[in-house]
Amino acid sequence: MADLSIAVRQIGDVAVLLPAGFINAHTVREFEEALEGLVQDGRYTILLNCKDLNYISSAGLGAIMGLIETVREHEGDILLSNLQENVFAIFDTLGFTQLYRVFGDEDQALAAAVPGRKA
Amino acid sequence: MAAKVDHAQFRLIIPSQTRYLNLVTGLAKRASLAAGLDDATAAKVSIAVDEAVTNVILHAYHGEGEHSVELELRFTEVALEIHILHSGQGIRGDQMVLPDPKEYIKHPRKGGLGLLLMSRFMDEVQFKADEVSGRNECCLIKKIS
Repeated sequence: MADLSIAVRQIGDVAVLLPAGFINAHTVREFEEALEGLVQDGRYTILLNCKDLNYISSAGLGAIMGLIETVREHEGDILLSNLQENVFAIFDTLGFTQLYRVFGDEDQALAAAVPGRKA
Repeated sequence: MAAKVDHAQFRLIIPSQTRYLNLVTGLAKRASLAAGLDDATAAKVSIAVDEAVTNVILHAYHGEGEHSVELELRFTEVALEIHILHSGQGIRGDQMVLPDPKEYIKHPRKGGLGLLLMSRFMDEVQFKADEVSGRNECCLIKKIS
């Protein structure tokens, strides 16, 4: 199995990114390119569904941090859902759960991102 | 006659390449479980080791892949110690400046979070330099309660 694979789905105005595997210094460029590709396409509301993400290091957090201002300047956001316990611990330990909206599952996140949509 | 040790220990030497990070973090997690730490704590130890080894590869060796990184795991009665040794550019303990998470969130930027994760997830993080051998060491300690 590759260290990291990334799938992208578009649901309404929300780009749903599904990283599977490990995001570390070895794989972060692939993750960064996927995020940057969405922003370059003008897709500024991005949901990271982390259900298959086993691990993220500070390299991956840096990739997300590097784009947060850009997407918010365009009235978009980066949302997180389905965080595994150890991934949540990383975000929470660094206080990132105050910076990003975190949801238990994808439907809840989409409902928050798209007003009028039911979870 | 071989030297005796009063605790279990073993070593792994890897090339200074990020492609081996997964191998190292997997080892750190399994070593943590073997030392008696729980799953959540073992995951945190593996993240701290990832950050420490990444720092060595990217900063101490400036991304050059032809060097080596040595990991020594020591299982004592009170702690799991992970010593990461290298011959690249060292960092002293007094140079370890941790970012303030609140300030970081106000002014997002890339980088600077690895040391913070290491210090939050481990009980002790020490940086040492051996002037005789020219080798540098990052020592991560997790106490076994």
